Amino acid sequence: MSEELNLIWLEGQDCAGCTISIKQASNPTLIDVITGAIPGLEGLKLAYHPTLMFEWGEDASKVLVDAMDGKYDPFGLILEGAIPDEKKAGPGAYCVIGEYDGELLKLNDVIDALSKRCAAAVAIGTCASYGGIPHGSPNPTGAKGLLEYLGKDWRGGLGFPLICIPGCPPRPDNIINLVGHGVLAIRGVAPPPVLDDWHRPVYLYGATAHEHCPICGYYSEGIAPHKFGETGCLGALGCKGIMTHCNASATWMDGYGGCTHIGAPCFGCADPYFPDPPTSPFFAKAPATPFIVDTLKGMIGHMKMGLGRLSRRKI
Amino acid sequence: MREITIEPVTRIEGHLGIHASIDTDNRIVKDAHAAGAMFRGFELILQGREPSEAVMITQRACGVCPVPHATASVMAIDQTYGISPPPMGVAIRNLVHGAEQLYDAEVGVVNLEGPDYSEHAVKIFNPDWWDEAEQTRAERADIHGFKTIAEIMSALNPMEGELYLRSLLVQKAGHNMAAIFGAKHPHVHSFVPGGVAKIDLSPSDIEFYLTLLMHHVAFTKELVTASDDLLDFVLAQGYEKVGERPVNFASGGAFDDPEGYSAVYDEMTEWGRKRMVSPGIMLDGELVTTDLVELNVGVKEYTGSGWYSDDWEADVETDPAGNRISKEHPWNKRTQPKPANYGRWDDAYTWVTSPRWWNWRGDGRDHVIEAGPLARMWITAKAGIAPGSTGNSLKFELPEALIPGFKYSDKMEFEWKIPRMPNAIERIRARAYYHAYAASCMLEMVMKALDLLKAGKADVWNEYTRPKEGIGYGVTEAMRGMVSHWCVMKKGLIHNYQYQAPTTWNASGKDANGKPGPYEEAIIDSPITETGESEEWKGIDIVRVVRSFDPCLGCAIHVHMGDRTREHELLPFALPLK
Repeated sequence: MSEELNLIWLEGQDCAGCTISIKQASNPTLIDVITGAIPGLEGLKLAYHPTLMFEWGEDASKVLVDAMDGKYDPFGLILEGAIPDEKKAGPGAYCVIGEYDGELLKLNDVIDALSKRCAAAVAIGTCASYGGIPHGSPNPTGAKGLLEYLGKDWRGGLGFPLICIPGCPPRPDNIINLVGHGVLAIRGVAPPPVLDDWHRPVYLYGATAHEHCPICGYYSEGIAPHKFGETGCLGALGCKGIMTHCNASATWMDGYGGCTHIGAPCFGCADPYFPDPPTSPFFAKAPATPFIVDTLKGMIGHMKMGLGRLSRRKI
Repeated sequence: MREITIEPVTRIEGHLGIHASIDTDNRIVKDAHAAGAMFRGFELILQGREPSEAVMITQRACGVCPVPHATASVMAIDQTYGISPPPMGVAIRNLVHGAEQLYDAEVGVVNLEGPDYSEHAVKIFNPDWWDEAEQTRAERADIHGFKTIAEIMSALNPMEGELYLRSLLVQKAGHNMAAIFGAKHPHVHSFVPGGVAKIDLSPSDIEFYLTLLMHHVAFTKELVTASDDLLDFVLAQGYEKVGERPVNFASGGAFDDPEGYSAVYDEMTEWGRKRMVSPGIMLDGELVTTDLVELNVGVKEYTGSGWYSDDWEADVETDPAGNRISKEHPWNKRTQPKPANYGRWDDAYTWVTSPRWWNWRGDGRDHVIEAGPLARMWITAKAGIAPGSTGNSLKFELPEALIPGFKYSDKMEFEWKIPRMPNAIERIRARAYYHAYAASCMLEMVMKALDLLKAGKADVWNEYTRPKEGIGYGVTEAMRGMVSHWCVMKKGLIHNYQYQAPTTWNASGKDANGKPGPYEEAIIDSPITETGESEEWKGIDIVRVVRSFDPCLGCAIHVHMGDRTREHELLPFALPLK
């Protein structure tokens, strides 16, 4: 039995969509995790989660206050939702998450305190990672994602950088995989995930939605109708799959759905700039650069494959 | 007298605090304030964008109930652009909407509200109930399998109870169903003006959907009967008065007739009444109207006790049918945020505004309105339009379904009866019954979709050209009540976009006349059953009342500001990725 590990899941300027997403995960399911059915993942305790926890009011806020005092060490910090700039709110507040002993707990203050103590931190969803919808122009509340808030150089107690899982929301299995992977890394069972420049795990976000796209054959054939519902590549209808690093185009979960799979264009919801340009206007075509790069890569690739046909069989 | 502040109220969507004054001698709540504690500024983010983008962005107000936002929004944009979708487009929207309602109802009843009545909670807060619950046989045990009420309570224990865990497992099917036609859930990507974006639609897509739907059909038989047994028991413990408020309701109606729906404002009256869930307004127990046009014209949104300053602009004088629009109507609403200190209960104290319904054809007064499954079941039962509506009950049936892992497979008849008064328990019961009703509506919709395919009407989208000017209104039902969206388009871009979520109505603060919003109304005069010293009370009765509304604060809080500058702030470490 592994040592008990607490998870503190905060909700900032969020919609609870990432929580709803993780509830549909399959490999493993949320139930497998909370009942401790998986070796290596047992002993996890969801100490704080505003949408799922039993306690409320001061009892709930006390968990946060105690965590600040170290009573929940070691813990992993998970954020869903963006962080507002409370200075902009003057005497008021944009995001109050609790009250303890007559003192208000603002999201910013709680993150400031907990980010100094946590073993590792994960930002779930585009809002928590990069600002997402609340950060959308003109950013009324000065919202930020955790990556910008803590800075790229931030390190958790175990020396890991912040991990971002973008997507609005991210695929259910992306979240649960990564949380599971993070826990195994914290316990020293598995190596920490390799991250890209935007702190995304490469094994989930290395390829674009276009590269994962199950109907990208139509792209190669140049079949791109201007009508929804007509079979073909969705590039002419505003699909941003060519520039968005995401694996939700093929399937959402259990083989069902998937954005381009069913014929819905990718709107770039996992992109750090979502919902601002270049992801919007959503029905406008993606910028030219990725298309040009892709075309050149495609030409070189096809030539290589053609020439490769001439090489001698090795095995 | 004791003042209690409950911040945060957990097991809801979003950030909500409740402040209440309790008369400890008489064990009754004297006053209450509901405070929405998080602000994002959605309508400001929408300004100047293409109207079609509102469909994607407004969904993100709420990850629990995004599809009703998508539905209401896409209807508002259909009207703004003047483009009606083909019947199959409407049918698919209905299927995605229904799928979401199914997951949302069971999560609400079992995973969010259920723990308040679990063994865990009852032993702490109402230990006197426990002995009786152990002695009380569950009347419908042959269906749900729990012999006593105590067994049902144990099954609701958070993170370990049987019902709690099974509901978490079954609700996944709702998301799967939504993803088949919506690409993903939460936040579906296939709703576009003029229909839906779905390629290669085939009977097998519909069959996948139906297969998963049958899991809900099987589960709902257990859910409704177990809820009935548990809730009857709690009512008998003196819970009738907890969360009681007058019968003032609104329902936008849901699930359109695929052949009936159009994007024409005036035709709303007719196609609104063809909805499987009836639209309408009830005031003091009387059904005032079932006309969506009348409903729209009567909507007003006041600043109330919100942290906003008034700044209305009389932009739209009449609706497309020629009815005069009030200056507080959302088409005209302009509000500036004005953050101020938290906890000033006699001043502004919340981020939620105060919508009221103006009975413009009747007494000319503004009314506090509750939205939710209780409201729409009540209106659907009363209106006599839906096939099973009898005037005082709603009857429907679900077919046989033998699926391993579920306890009851026979065909089952349901009858939801209009209760004496709205209260906390009846709200939860209505949510459970609505789960069953939504399943029966979706069974019918699946057959309609197959009929359309058979008739060769497989088109899912109608082409349009974007006009420059337009105005639109869309309304439907989220799990927690009526969702309405309004759009004013000028020069092809959003000039004003407003939406009201059910929780905007329900969580609204006191208005200028001092009239409290529905949460507050329901908490005030509500008895306290919690045991122990009054100084130690945690407010279980208060949170039970609030959770009976299934709050969703993310949706409720929104704002529009007049001036905007559009500048794209690059993240400081932005890389030339693209």
